[in-house]
Amino acid sequence: MASRAELSRFLADVERRAFKQAVFAVRDDDAALDIVQDSMMRLAEKYGDKPNEELPMLFQRILQNAIRDYYRRSRTRMEHFTSLSALEGDGEDPADPLETLELDDEINPFATPHTALLQAETLNLVEEALQNLPPRQREAFLLRYWEGLDIAETAAAMGCTEGSVKTHCSRATHTLAAALESKGIRP
Amino acid sequence: MSREEQFARQLCRVLDRGTVELDHGITERLRAARERALQHQHVTLVSPAIVGAGGTALMGSDDDRHPLRTGLAILALLLGVSLSYYWNGFSQASENEAIDSALLADDLPPNAYLDKGFQAWLEKDSPAGQ
Repeated sequence: MASRAELSRFLADVERRAFKQAVFAVRDDDAALDIVQDSMMRLAEKYGDKPNEELPMLFQRILQNAIRDYYRRSRTRMEHFTSLSALEGDGEDPADPLETLELDDEINPFATPHTALLQAETLNLVEEALQNLPPRQREAFLLRYWEGLDIAETAAAMGCTEGSVKTHCSRATHTLAAALESKGIRP
Repeated sequence: MSREEQFARQLCRVLDRGTVELDHGITERLRAARERALQHQHVTLVSPAIVGAGGTALMGSDDDRHPLRTGLAILALLLGVSLSYYWNGFSQASENEAIDSALLADDLPPNAYLDKGFQAWLEKDSPAGQ
């Protein structure tokens, strides 16, 4: 069972990423803060006695449900979906950016000295590209790679199959690579 | 690590920077939200009096209840009661055995205690009877 100190450490560790996840999804700081606050409260009230190692998956499941609830309440959701549906593609994109991108540290913007301005611009472009992803792709990408959940945990948090997680993650990564390459960012 | 995963990890390192540079107002609201949540942490209460009899499983939260655990707890409780009953009977038998041994080893034959005349003689001759 997670002690109060363990739960506190977990929430402190995850709260900023949770906020950013919510912002990417709902594009509103106040709404994102409300979502994170509700998710924290729900985790503590309902699952505060669960083992420490179960908290990440449980919290992410609560957070993603809260984001989806927000979508349901918001009428702007449909506009978001339709404007981005073209990015989903059918998996037959002949020019796969990941096939041509070089990933050496030498061209990693954060591995070589760059100005703070360049770093801020890069961050903005990455965040913008993430915001423009279809919701399920973004969700899978962030849970799998940013939160570090494994495929089974990601599937449990998203309420889908492991195969769907792999598909969403793969499409998200390729879409992000294409979007960033079009802005002149080479990962 | 695949090229796809490598690229994803690079992007996440960029995203980490974004969490460091959050406004103070937002980080303060997150901290306040965290503290409010901690005040409402659900904690499973366990009665120490029955922990030894497997009470942990019986008194756990709804999510913790499991037929096997509950069954084991009840079995442990019954076993404890049985052992206690057996032990009490054993102690009583030992005491009776000691009394019997004392009676049989005494110079006075046991039948004397059944003789009403002997009882009357004891009451007559004892200091309390005088």
